[in-house]
Amino acid sequence: MSHSLNEIEAMSKRAARGAGLSWGLSEEAAKGTRWLSAFGFPGTEMLTELLQMNDRIPPIDVSPVSLSADIWHAPTRRMSPLIAGASLSDCAVRLLERGTITMQNVSLPLLAVPFMGGAALRLGVPVAAEWDGARVATDGKQLCVQGEAEALRSKHAATLVFSAPAEMTGKREPVMRAEVCEDSWDQLGKFAHRTFAPATEESRLRGAGAGVSDND
Amino acid sequence: MTDIQRRAPNTVMRLARLGSIHQSRLSFMRVLTRRLAREGWRFEKTAFDVNDAGEGHAVYTVHGPERSYSLIAFAHDLPAEKRSDRVIAEAWDATFTLFDGIPTAQDIERLSNNIPVQEAGRVTGTELSVSRANRSVRLWEHVVSCLADGRQPDPEQINAVGYLMRTTAVYGSGKLGAADREMIADRPEFAAPFQVEMLSVYLTRWFVLDLVQHMANRRAAANGTTAASLSPELGRSMGIGNSTGLGMAPFLLNHPVLFNNWISARENAIQTVRSLASASPEDVALFKSLVARSKVTIAKWHSEHPIQIEKLQGLRSDVAKVDAYLAAADLTDDHPWDKLYRWAADTLSLEGQEWIASLILEPYGALVDDFAWDMAADNTATFRIAGAMSVRDLRALLTDVYSWAIDTDWQSPANRARAWYVSEEKLEPRLGERFEEPIEEYEQPLAPGRDAAQLFKALSHWPDEAQVADFLLRHPEHRHVLRRAQIVGRAPYAEIRDNTISDQVLPIDMLRCKLAFFGATQFDPRSDRWVRICMYGNAPLPMELTPENADFWVFPAADTKLEESAA
Repeated sequence: MSHSLNEIEAMSKRAARGAGLSWGLSEEAAKGTRWLSAFGFPGTEMLTELLQMNDRIPPIDVSPVSLSADIWHAPTRRMSPLIAGASLSDCAVRLLERGTITMQNVSLPLLAVPFMGGAALRLGVPVAAEWDGARVATDGKQLCVQGEAEALRSKHAATLVFSAPAEMTGKREPVMRAEVCEDSWDQLGKFAHRTFAPATEESRLRGAGAGVSDND
Repeated sequence: MTDIQRRAPNTVMRLARLGSIHQSRLSFMRVLTRRLAREGWRFEKTAFDVNDAGEGHAVYTVHGPERSYSLIAFAHDLPAEKRSDRVIAEAWDATFTLFDGIPTAQDIERLSNNIPVQEAGRVTGTELSVSRANRSVRLWEHVVSCLADGRQPDPEQINAVGYLMRTTAVYGSGKLGAADREMIADRPEFAAPFQVEMLSVYLTRWFVLDLVQHMANRRAAANGTTAASLSPELGRSMGIGNSTGLGMAPFLLNHPVLFNNWISARENAIQTVRSLASASPEDVALFKSLVARSKVTIAKWHSEHPIQIEKLQGLRSDVAKVDAYLAAADLTDDHPWDKLYRWAADTLSLEGQEWIASLILEPYGALVDDFAWDMAADNTATFRIAGAMSVRDLRALLTDVYSWAIDTDWQSPANRARAWYVSEEKLEPRLGERFEEPIEEYEQPLAPGRDAAQLFKALSHWPDEAQVADFLLRHPEHRHVLRRAQIVGRAPYAEIRDNTISDQVLPIDMLRCKLAFFGATQFDPRSDRWVRICMYGNAPLPMELTPENADFWVFPAADTKLEESAA
């Protein structure tokens, strides 16, 4: 079914929060899923897969140990692409200074790609990401993609290399609507539901300030 | 005197002041009616198929210079016990969508299965909004029965309510599958915020007048008589009511850049007018006539809520002070508007100050109206965190923006008595008692002051030279508020500089602020967390709209009966 990008963003934020991510990282997950969906990737399916894999685990276990290391790695050898990606965006200036940032053992690497869009906008130069059989580059507004769908959808990248400045070839423009797989939408809805307070009569009466007649 | 600054965010962004803001030239309803008139938009009713029970549909199309839009209205026969303004309602007297273009029969068929059920339905990228409205039962029946009896309804009863139907939600921007704002943001007619929603409500008012006449005609026909036609004066006096609940308060907190741009546009306009060295006699005359006309609004403004009753007493005593000032002052020379504003800031209540701050803009459309084009927001550029910022600079930023919060005792239960949460019942936003209800684990991040104070504390042992990227790697729980602090560093009016979870917080302050930017008047809080207003009351009906009447309709004519009864 066709969904608006705002719906995808709102659902993704709630789902990420429901899976235990902080509000700030949930916002990143939401923007990233929206961005992938706008370029025709199965953003909600991949987010669902990640949230199921990392459901309510401590974020520190799947975060880079250090941002100064030559190669970023997580202690569990399965780095979250959301946390790694958010850190990459935070380190945009370092990326340009170093030329490349290399990460090891990253889950669902495509989920880290939207963050380099943010970095590209901040730096004003295109940024590229490469992993086994896939290369994507973006200036933040358009995307160029090389590689098979299977490689792009890879569950795990042994090595993921971000580089800037990068070359853009064969540009893809974002679209304004996205087709969402219903199953992933339902799964995200289950995570999102964890953030909603159960309905109680007291909450119904007090929480929205009812009690005065709203009818005349 | 030549260098008048914008008012400081620490002055403007307090809840008590935001909760006293008045509509202005930059309000979204007035931006819309000015455009419709200036560009000569054409209005057309293309369908009205409603039966004797009031069930059916109607289509109203507006044609602009480049595009057309259609309000598709569905009328229902709602049992009284189902009529509720709450988000959790499941049936309404009428439901609507604003369609991008001219709908086909297939579009109307598809929408007839989705719009009447609102949140339970789905729409597509050709729909720009989804909304619903309930009748004012008292006034509706009064108007139908009078017209069916062949006479005009009683103006007093119309004034007492002000509307035949009130909207209880107007959803735009991607909700329920509708078009995202990004899809239409580059169209000039939607450059200012909320123009889709304002257009939808303007056309809704037209439909409601047609529907009430239709119901009177059918009732008269059933009695073998002919109904009276509602007089245009009475029709024009009625607007569309609106019940606004807690959802709008999180909106302002969740859209900091947009909120900054609204406040900043109004503050730029106030600064521009205060900076004028002199005023022409025509400008002064216009200002004084609008003071007189807005006195009618203030006199008519009725509320039963103790907080608003007290504010109204203050405002009415301010009106007398303003009269005395204007009788004595020479407004033509010596930075007259700045002098008036500074006098108001020293003398009047917050209601009175913000009334004057909005009103001095009126004679200067040529100078201030273009600020409306700066009121929309694209968040892309502000979303990314500047990770290379030093902890030293972040500390300085927090101290600048959130000093009030850093100085607040967050251990005190009174200062964090409330928590914002979302109910699983139709995702209704609610505000609960943190220490009395099991809601804390569902708390939404709508207490930026508390969160900024926690961030400030967490930074205390970090060296000045460290970069925030390294801090955030270890403390993802502070990511949202750090982002927010950086946004406020660039957009100083983005943050409400008050405690949004204290036992004293009044959500209606946030609702009032947003509704004033829509252009509403006569705010009537019904509790501390929902408010009734009226939109487009006294506005020209679509067929009457001209550049001459498109701007000042919000001010009732001072020589009407209303003023006599108020005086």
